[in-house]
Amino acid sequence: MPNPSPEFRYPLHWRLMDAVERIADLVWPRRLSRHTGWLFIAPALLLVGLLVLGLIQIADASLRTLDTSTFLMSEDWSTENYRKALSSSTYLTVAWRSLSAAVLTTVLTLILAFPYAWALVRVKKAWIRKALLITLFLPFFIGQVVRAYGWLIILGNSGMVNEALSLVGVTPMRLLFNYGAVVFGLVQYMLPFAVLLLVPALTAIPEETETAAGSLGASWPRILWHVLLPMAKPGLIGAGLVVFTLTLTDFAVPAMLGGGGQDFIANAIYDQFFRTADQGLGSALALILVAAGSVLVGLVFMIFGAGTLAMGGRK
Amino acid sequence: MSGTGSSDAVVARNVDMDFGTGAMAVKQAGFSLARGRFLTILGPSGSGKTTLLRMIAGFQTPTRGEILIGGKPADAVAPHRRSVGMVFQKLALFPHMSVEENVAFPLKMRRFNPREIPGRVAQYLDLVRLGGFAKRRINELSGGQQQRVAIARALVFEPELLLLDEPLAALDRKLREEMQLEFRRIQKELGVTTINVTHDQREALVVSDEIIVMDQGEIQQHASPVEMYRRPANPFVAHFIGVSSFLAGRRTETGLTVNGSDCAGQAVADIAPGAEARGAIRAEQVRIAAPGDALSGCDTVLEGQVSDTIFEGERLLYFVTLPALATTIQVFHHDPAEHAPYARGATVSVGWTARDLLIFPAKDR
Ligand SMILES: Nc1ncnc2c1ncn2[C@@H]1O[C@H](COP(=O)(O)OP(=O)(O)O)[C@@H](O)[C@H]1O
Ligand SMILES: [Mg+2]
Repeated sequence: MPNPSPEFRYPLHWRLMDAVERIADLVWPRRLSRHTGWLFIAPALLLVGLLVLGLIQIADASLRTLDTSTFLMSEDWSTENYRKALSSSTYLTVAWRSLSAAVLTTVLTLILAFPYAWALVRVKKAWIRKALLITLFLPFFIGQVVRAYGWLIILGNSGMVNEALSLVGVTPMRLLFNYGAVVFGLVQYMLPFAVLLLVPALTAIPEETETAAGSLGASWPRILWHVLLPMAKPGLIGAGLVVFTLTLTDFAVPAMLGGGGQDFIANAIYDQFFRTADQGLGSALALILVAAGSVLVGLVFMIFGAGTLAMGGRK
Repeated sequence: MSGTGSSDAVVARNVDMDFGTGAMAVKQAGFSLARGRFLTILGPSGSGKTTLLRMIAGFQTPTRGEILIGGKPADAVAPHRRSVGMVFQKLALFPHMSVEENVAFPLKMRRFNPREIPGRVAQYLDLVRLGGFAKRRINELSGGQQQRVAIARALVFEPELLLLDEPLAALDRKLREEMQLEFRRIQKELGVTTINVTHDQREALVVSDEIIVMDQGEIQQHASPVEMYRRPANPFVAHFIGVSSFLAGRRTETGLTVNGSDCAGQAVADIAPGAEARGAIRAEQVRIAAPGDALSGCDTVLEGQVSDTIFEGERLLYFVTLPALATTIQVFHHDPAEHAPYARGATVSVGWTARDLLIFPAKDR
């Protein structure tokens, strides 16, 4: 071991670290180090555990019906809430709207996010990359509610877009409070998430691979189709899953840009919990949503394999 | 090697590449390469080899000058319509395809007759000796096997020109030497015009019909391997290829005077007597013997002391300090039959013939 000169002292933060290590040794002796991993994931396990407890509560509530005269939950269990939820044409419409909007938003978001992420990864000039990053992150800082409000101002009946259209003689039209507005708002909201999830996947594809494909005879649409998309598949699936689940369970955008007429499942659940105060029906809807989301995610995993989400694309 | 004929596969004229980041990446590059030849561009890292190759491939357009492939400007046609096969530094194989699919890729992209494709793929996999590996994934192959896939993929569509950008740099030495011989065999078998880029002088000597040495964006010499070795155009080439010692002195009638001592040598260019000059001599062309040995046939014989001995296996490298020249030179000696090298500090005789000490004008780098 090298022997430093007597007047040499290690910097303070080194000595602090030494002290911390010594204390850690007392509290958690070395021979327990095999289990250290568990120690670190304990907080996460605790949180998930709480979530499971909550789910059990919800499951319990979902089996009790609301007595509309006393506003009390029934004592005994029944599947009445599920029957109601699954047979109601209102909820079927809501479910279908959420699901179709989630699929549509996912597809549109991925189509827009892919070229953006590709540009972010490939662009040479530092200032262009910075501009792209800032443009991407700015909406993040604004938050969902303010952003939705911004859309109200821009797309409202006397909003900027309609003003501009009236200048060229187009009569004002209703741009808000319809399905299109909700999907539009959702795509705009999800875009940064998708881009951020696609960037690592595209960074893992060397630019040389594209050049090589070109030199082997592939035009750029074929490079995209035969090389880039297959190689970015793990990133696309990951980004798609995140966008899909976030959209399927979204509350704010349909509430604000849908104007009450474009409810998603989350809005219906909200109504049951906080307006009608029918906890039972709300819980049943919530569980149906969890089940539907899980089944769909599970299906994606089954088709593509869970490993596709990890970089490197091992089986 | 100069003079452009109609049989030239590649011609470069006064090619400059300026990225606008200070020194030019390629300066005034000019050469021509006849059909079917194997050219290696050799130079240290950053000397502009890749840039020159990318311009030949048409991926980059020269700032000035022109590059002709088969008589037509290199960048006149879109990359995917050019008849150029390229093997990249990092290979750039497609990890999501099997070996077979990788090799079939250029055939499909170039719309070959689908019935012809499997046969061709098999033929080129056999050529690179990967016959049994068609169904493997790329990540199931060793480094050397991946090289072979990359070569097959670049050759399968029978391009007019094959470009190799240091594809062997990442391999370990044994495998690299094996692959060098493979390159040579395949190139001879197909007769495809090939330009190879490397910083490995041994590779350049082994595989090439001709070599271009580059430094700081400039072509230093374009010659056959033997000529490059025997008659380097300047001290840079002498230094880069092989192991040479350099002597600074003045030109005399018979050679060079270094520190007042005469050294027999021959000038590569006209140098006025008395002008400053630099001599270069290769370590294997200096003979070493016990002190007092006349070293018959040598034109210059000097005494010196062994300052260091390095055992390299098949040979010994001596550093011999020569008081008469006030310098140290390097000397190779084949592992002697009696296994008794000269010890450090031992006095020895060294000598050389006038033909082997090359004298360059001092201004040459
Ligand atoms: N796209 C580029 N932009 C700016 N400078 C570059 C670019 N490509 C290469 N260079 C510069 O040109 C010089 C030669 O590079 P390169 O041709 O890659 O050398 P080599 O292949 O011999 O190592 C280097 O100084 C490098 O930094
Ligand atoms: Mg290079």
